[in-house]
Amino acid sequence: MLSRLVIVSASTAAPNSLKGSGPLGAGLVQASRSLHTSSQSLAPVPPLPETGGKVRHGIIPEELFQMLYPKTGVTGPYMLGTGLLVYLLSKEIYIVNHETLAAASIGAVIIYGVKKFGPSVAAFADKLNEEKVAKAQEVKDLAMTSLTQSIEDEKKEQWRVEGRSALFDAKRNNVAMLLETNHRERLHMVTNEVKKRLDYQVALQNLHRQMEQEHMVNWVEKSVVSSITPQQEKESIAKCITDLKALAKATQAKATA
Amino acid sequence: MAGRRVALKAIDWVAFAERVPPNQRGMFNALKTRSDAISAKLTSLPETPAAIDWSHYRSVVAKPGMVDEFEKKFKALQIPEPVDTQTNAINAQEAEANKSAAAYIEESKGRIAQYENKLDKFKNMIPFDQMTIEDLNETFPETKLDKVKHPYWPHKPIADL
Repeated sequence: MLSRLVIVSASTAAPNSLKGSGPLGAGLVQASRSLHTSSQSLAPVPPLPETGGKVRHGIIPEELFQMLYPKTGVTGPYMLGTGLLVYLLSKEIYIVNHETLAAASIGAVIIYGVKKFGPSVAAFADKLNEEKVAKAQEVKDLAMTSLTQSIEDEKKEQWRVEGRSALFDAKRNNVAMLLETNHRERLHMVTNEVKKRLDYQVALQNLHRQMEQEHMVNWVEKSVVSSITPQQEKESIAKCITDLKALAKATQAKATA
Repeated sequence: MAGRRVALKAIDWVAFAERVPPNQRGMFNALKTRSDAISAKLTSLPETPAAIDWSHYRSVVAKPGMVDEFEKKFKALQIPEPVDTQTNAINAQEAEANKSAAAYIEESKGRIAQYENKLDKFKNMIPFDQMTIEDLNETFPETKLDKVKHPYWPHKPIADL
């Protein structure tokens, strides 16, 4: 828990960081220069341990128990502690007086306070630190994604540029097509004009012949009509009447038969 | 009137369309519609005009030498191919475009190198929870506190806290 407090103070940009930068910097540089002659190197700094050393009953480090275990077993350190305490009290090396009671009361209050509020304070400090780290991490992630995105975009733009030849091919194609169209149009125009001329001649001839034909027919008709004399007319009418009478008789006979 | 060489290069409009950036799409659409119109016009015209039936005309037309004269002149007529004035301009444009494209690609590569440098810096950074304040100042120089300008804690204007 104490280590967490240390980290909080270090990350609030106070100059007294763990590695001694700041007012001690000048003197420490010479010291660290001579230290660097050993094979061990200090950078990169190994991460700080998450929790402190293990302790039993809040004060006594676990290493004592481990050290005494082979010789005295599990109860060894407790016996040592009890014996030490009894020795101090009986030999009056430690005298019980008013201060003892004060120390006991203060100790009780402190222990109660730490036990009750310790975890929440620790969590709060952790949260502060987490937020700082998360912010920095966010900045880093954002920067990395934007950089990769920019690289992607640049590559895409390069790919786009490669397609520029198609534009010019299209333009040249257009020009060639226009020229070809023009040429063909001219060919067609020539042919059509020649054809039109020849057709005109043919039509002209046909018209001529038609007119001559009509004129001749009219003239023949007119001359024939004018050549019919009144005498001939009377004769032809009488003949027609007799023919009609004969026809009528014939049909009557057929009808009754 | 000889037949024509068909010097048209097949253009893949789909691939071309993919490469067009969005801000030039209008120009591309205009080009495409123009090209399509021109090619439609071209395909609607037959390559050679219908042949004239000389024998038929010879038998029909009364005037003796007329058809023969027409035929002779018709066959002797050469229609010149239209002059191509634009292809050189287009080639010049293309050369210039190639040059500017090469320059752009160079610049782009430079930019990519820059971006990759920065990216590598981020990738090879030590994780934040293993950094000290010194390491932080090295990696992000803007976090370094100016102890000369503001000699007293917090070494930056109060407003920046």
